[in-house]
Amino acid sequence: MNFLTIFARNLKQGPQTEAFPFGPAFTPERLRGRIEFKAETCEGCRICERVCPANAIRFAKTPDGMTFDCWHNTCVFCGNCEFYCPTDAIHQTNDWNLAHANADKFEMVEHGLIANQTCVECGATALNTAPMVKNAKPPLSSEEYSEVRARCPKCRAKYLKNRKVPA
Amino acid sequence: MSTNTVPETFSIPVGPLHVALEEPMYFKIDVKGETVSHVDINAGHAHRGIEYLTTKRTMYQNVVLTERICSLCSNSHPQTFAMAAEKIAGIEVPERGIYLRVVADEMKRITSHLFNVALLVHLVGYETYFMHMMQVREIGQDMVESIFGNRQDIGAMCIGGVRYDLDDKTIAYIKGAIDKIEVETKDIIKTFKSNGSILRRTKGVGVLSHADAITCGVVGPVARASGIEYDVRRAAPYAAYDRLPLVVHSATDGDVWSRAMVRLEEILTSINLLRACLRDLPGGPTNINDRPDIPPGQAVTRSEAPRGEVIYYLRTNDTPQPERVKWRVPTFMNWDGLRFMLQDAKVADIAMIVNSIDPCLSCTER
Amino acid sequence: MSRLPQDLEARLTAAAPAGVEYSAETDSHGVTVAWLGLAAAADLKPVAALLHEMGARLSMITCAQPSVPEEEDEDEDEEDGEEKAAAEPKETPKTFGGTPFDGTSYEIDYHFDIEGDALTVIAYVPQGGDIPSLTPIFRNADWHEREMMELYSVKVTDHPDPRRLFLDASVDGAVLERLIPFSTLVNAASTKGLWERLLAGKKGAA
Repeated sequence: MNFLTIFARNLKQGPQTEAFPFGPAFTPERLRGRIEFKAETCEGCRICERVCPANAIRFAKTPDGMTFDCWHNTCVFCGNCEFYCPTDAIHQTNDWNLAHANADKFEMVEHGLIANQTCVECGATALNTAPMVKNAKPPLSSEEYSEVRARCPKCRAKYLKNRKVPA
Repeated sequence: MSTNTVPETFSIPVGPLHVALEEPMYFKIDVKGETVSHVDINAGHAHRGIEYLTTKRTMYQNVVLTERICSLCSNSHPQTFAMAAEKIAGIEVPERGIYLRVVADEMKRITSHLFNVALLVHLVGYETYFMHMMQVREIGQDMVESIFGNRQDIGAMCIGGVRYDLDDKTIAYIKGAIDKIEVETKDIIKTFKSNGSILRRTKGVGVLSHADAITCGVVGPVARASGIEYDVRRAAPYAAYDRLPLVVHSATDGDVWSRAMVRLEEILTSINLLRACLRDLPGGPTNINDRPDIPPGQAVTRSEAPRGEVIYYLRTNDTPQPERVKWRVPTFMNWDGLRFMLQDAKVADIAMIVNSIDPCLSCTER
Repeated sequence: MSRLPQDLEARLTAAAPAGVEYSAETDSHGVTVAWLGLAAAADLKPVAALLHEMGARLSMITCAQPSVPEEEDEDEDEEDGEEKAAAEPKETPKTFGGTPFDGTSYEIDYHFDIEGDALTVIAYVPQGGDIPSLTPIFRNADWHEREMMELYSVKVTDHPDPRRLFLDASVDGAVLERLIPFSTLVNAASTKGLWERLLAGKKGAA
């Protein structure tokens, strides 16, 4: 392809520059962007906190429960948290519109709360984390799941042990 | 009585920040007129102390930290690190994971080589072709971004396998993209062999003879262009390279043009390797789906980054953090070769010769 | 099928009169990785000369200061276990060749490549000791040894150009042997002070 052919092709196709912000920008689905945290599916295992290379994730025990904070400034968008999370509680969206004014930089936090609850069996205060029952055999029905979820960790273990397995 | 002697040589500083240099390296060059007579290299402008930081992070965090040593060789670092950790712990990566590692590596190699040769053309002065080559590279970069989520730090590796997977849609997308790149690369090779400006400025410039190359211990395309046919993928195979159609390209002239040609030919080989991988991709898991503790031990592993041989030495003890991680990147070995290449070169060629070793300063100085 | 010559161990033992310990393993791809510990650091030069004759290429030089394995707690700082290790029981363990293994001695690994197989020669140097430079034999040892000298307080004798490599002359030497607080190193990013500020800023927004 000689230069004239390239020239003619480029004239026909137009400039390769993206039209953003006057048009959409090429954003692939798998882009590693902003972190999103879903407290309902979090198991409370804190693996994401341990594998984050930038120490951008922080769990803290408060009177209301366990808070989750991820500051996007320290975050390097590596995806380790999403990869090692056993459920889909923390994952990266493909949202890259994170530009902000310097005064707002401490606002760029993804915050979540795993609330406290009272165990229906023993009355203790425990976190309402998603139970770690992925590998239970046979898999839990939805009633069993909500029963397990409403208990504290000790009562959860007891419930699972005593679970009557249908023949 | 002081004699007013005119010094024989004049010392010019090139760098650390220079419009024609792609990496911040301080060259103190003594010139006689337009010809270089002596080169002194002063490094240290991007030293970040990563070797110290690796001892403060656990092994799983280190996979990400090693990736950020360099962005163009960014897949080779975590891959070699993970290989060392797997060697110590005796972990076997599943078959699919091995092939996907090769896929990630070769994709990075294609984009890295296109970048370097495009910069060479830019330094020759042929700006239009530089833009054209960067546009070809954009096909590759879009492909990398769509598969991995980031254009440079692809985050594909983990200890025990790979973190991503391919399905039919993405495989078809990759095949389409590499077909386009292949057509363009063949055209680029033809241009390199025939275009007057490129040939006049790069042939016979920055020659590194075979004997000098052995003395300096250079690696990668620099060594292969001087007649040393050494490629880690063939000499010390890892991942799936012993089952794939690998071709090692070399040349004998050792000048800037030969190095660019070796890199361009390697792009075509990478495309063939990608096609073979996608064809032979086995099923099964992509990683071991576990986070084992790495027992105490030590290991030495090597792999072929786009710039040459990367060697990692990993030593672990009982803690989750490694005791010592040391790596030597290919550019670290190649800087010394510049002393021979820049001998008797013209001042105008300095930038081009420095670019032809494909310098990666962030790798060198960690 | 290894590319290392069959009589390698014999030749290396002959070149190093003080004694060697040699081990090698081959992986599933047929790549052999061999380790050679030297009893005396002075044997380094004859061994290197032999390897140069055999056509080996020097790949990397690693210097490390291995710490003694701790029994109870898991430190994060392995590189400076000096004070703790000095209070060890009377019987200081010794590495091969008699150098005290107490967290202050150095272990210097010379990684060679012989046509694809790796051979690592390990020299043990006590604190305050020195090691002969390999630059006259292997030109590419130059930068490695300069870097080694600025990171640790090892003296490399007969080096043709013992300048600092990456660190400025105003920085005190032996960097990896000193305890630098992590928060100083990362300029207070991702440390306790930062989180307190972040969480305080978010108080109303939860």
